[in-house]
Amino acid sequence: MNKKYFTGVFSDEDSLVAAFGKLKEKGLKPDEVYTPYPVHEILDGMGNKTRISHAAFFFGLFSTIGLIGFMYYVSVIDWPLHFGGKPFNAFPSFIVVNIVATILVITILTLFTFSVRAKIFPGKEPEIFHPQATDDKFVMLFSSEFSKEKEDMIVQIVKEHGAIEK
Amino acid sequence: MEDRFTIPQKFRLAAYLLIGIGVVSFTLGFFIDSQRTWANFLLNNYYFVSLAIGAAFFIAIQYVAQAGWSAAFKRVPEAMTAYLPVGGVLFLLMYFGMHSLYHWTHEEAVQTDRLLQHKSPYLNETFFFIRMILFFGAWIILTSVMRKISVKEDIEGGTRYFYKSEMYSRILIFVVALTFSLFAVDALMSLEPHWFSTLFAGRSFMAAVLHASTIIAFIVFMLHRMGHFKMLNHSHLHDFTRYIFMASIVWGYFNFAEFMLIWYANIPEETAFFAHRWDGVWQVLFYANIVINWGIPFIVLMPRKTSRSKPVLIPVIILLMIGQYTELYYIIWPATVHKASFGLLEIGCFLGFTGLFSLVTATALTKASLVPKNHPYLEESVAHHF
Repeated sequence: MNKKYFTGVFSDEDSLVAAFGKLKEKGLKPDEVYTPYPVHEILDGMGNKTRISHAAFFFGLFSTIGLIGFMYYVSVIDWPLHFGGKPFNAFPSFIVVNIVATILVITILTLFTFSVRAKIFPGKEPEIFHPQATDDKFVMLFSSEFSKEKEDMIVQIVKEHGAIEK
Repeated sequence: MEDRFTIPQKFRLAAYLLIGIGVVSFTLGFFIDSQRTWANFLLNNYYFVSLAIGAAFFIAIQYVAQAGWSAAFKRVPEAMTAYLPVGGVLFLLMYFGMHSLYHWTHEEAVQTDRLLQHKSPYLNETFFFIRMILFFGAWIILTSVMRKISVKEDIEGGTRYFYKSEMYSRILIFVVALTFSLFAVDALMSLEPHWFSTLFAGRSFMAAVLHASTIIAFIVFMLHRMGHFKMLNHSHLHDFTRYIFMASIVWGYFNFAEFMLIWYANIPEETAFFAHRWDGVWQVLFYANIVINWGIPFIVLMPRKTSRSKPVLIPVIILLMIGQYTELYYIIWPATVHKASFGLLEIGCFLGFTGLFSLVTATALTKASLVPKNHPYLEESVAHHF
């Protein structure tokens, strides 16, 4: 938070997208864009494809294998019990438990993965770069070190469509 | 957007040829092995009637949910429902084959069987056909009314017809949920009159929805190849896939729930169905059904990339067409033919019905503009993108 940063503030989607396009043409990119709702051009343009669905898939895969293994261990190896003449490995009846438990595991692990990657934890100081970023304004954040020349260019482009706040 | 479909001469010839093959197979079949032929007749007719019902349900869902993306394609499921009158007549023809298929139609079997006597007020031939007439009557009336409204909308425009269709869609969903469940019980479950399963109707209904949505997508792709539906894009593909994917999961869920509960409770009346099918070819078919109708579509259609690509979708659609056949085969054959016989007769009969269904659907498609002209969601559907 101590780092030097400046923001570009826009009041509507069109001017944001226009400024974003011009910045991209010059090979410049904001470090983060805050919008009240998802904007396709920004999502594509920022180029940060989420990999969380892949993570979720593998959590699901491993939890399915792990849970079935656990139930097999409990009911066949460790403590075999007869239930109404069923085999110890009563596979069809494991599936229901397995589906529900897999959903639980995926939800919790994905939540933790997201929190770790986004560096969010309880009691964290909120990082609000612009007071209206959580409101109806579209905010671009520039926090990396830019050369003087590049910074001027950014300021010029942003000012065409919105306002600069340092 | 005027987009008229005319049946290509080749297609018409091919359809007539297939119908010819079907007629020849059935005639020869009745001389050689009439029971097996009637089983074929039931299977194929049920197959295509369930597609028509699934298509009717598909339109109704789109209206009730006020879905925008599908507005441009709704003439395809509408055309598929045109098979219902044909299917109804063919079902009534089963009057001549009842004794070959349904055990409960035999007087002497009922006399020595307490359970069949108990069920006879419901399961008797007269009431069976009264029900068939009622079911098909209700379906034909509802679908043709919706079709009429839809064609009228083309001429007059306005949102009035949309709301009217929505109203009829609600009625149709309610009626189909009730009648198709009873229809599945009558046509398939009563093949084994001693067997009880409450989930059977639900599973049959989901199978109908699953396979109807694959066929709708398939017909749309074929028409696209012929140069119609120029606006078909990857987002539309993704939405078709979603229907197939969703219905496949729900079908898998029903199928598993039915089996698991019966397996777990282990009551002889219920397990008889599966115990009877637990060896040889039937067991292979049991697993094959799950893999074909749920396993492969579930894994293949999960990623975003594959669910938007036609080269992936078309093999899955063809696989699911086979899946509906194997599922019905698994239900019908052990109860009627008692041995796994698959040969030229089965292929010929299936081809015949395919030709008939294609011809009826294609003829219905020519009768109105392929893209509805004044549907309120048409523009949204054409520009669909996500």
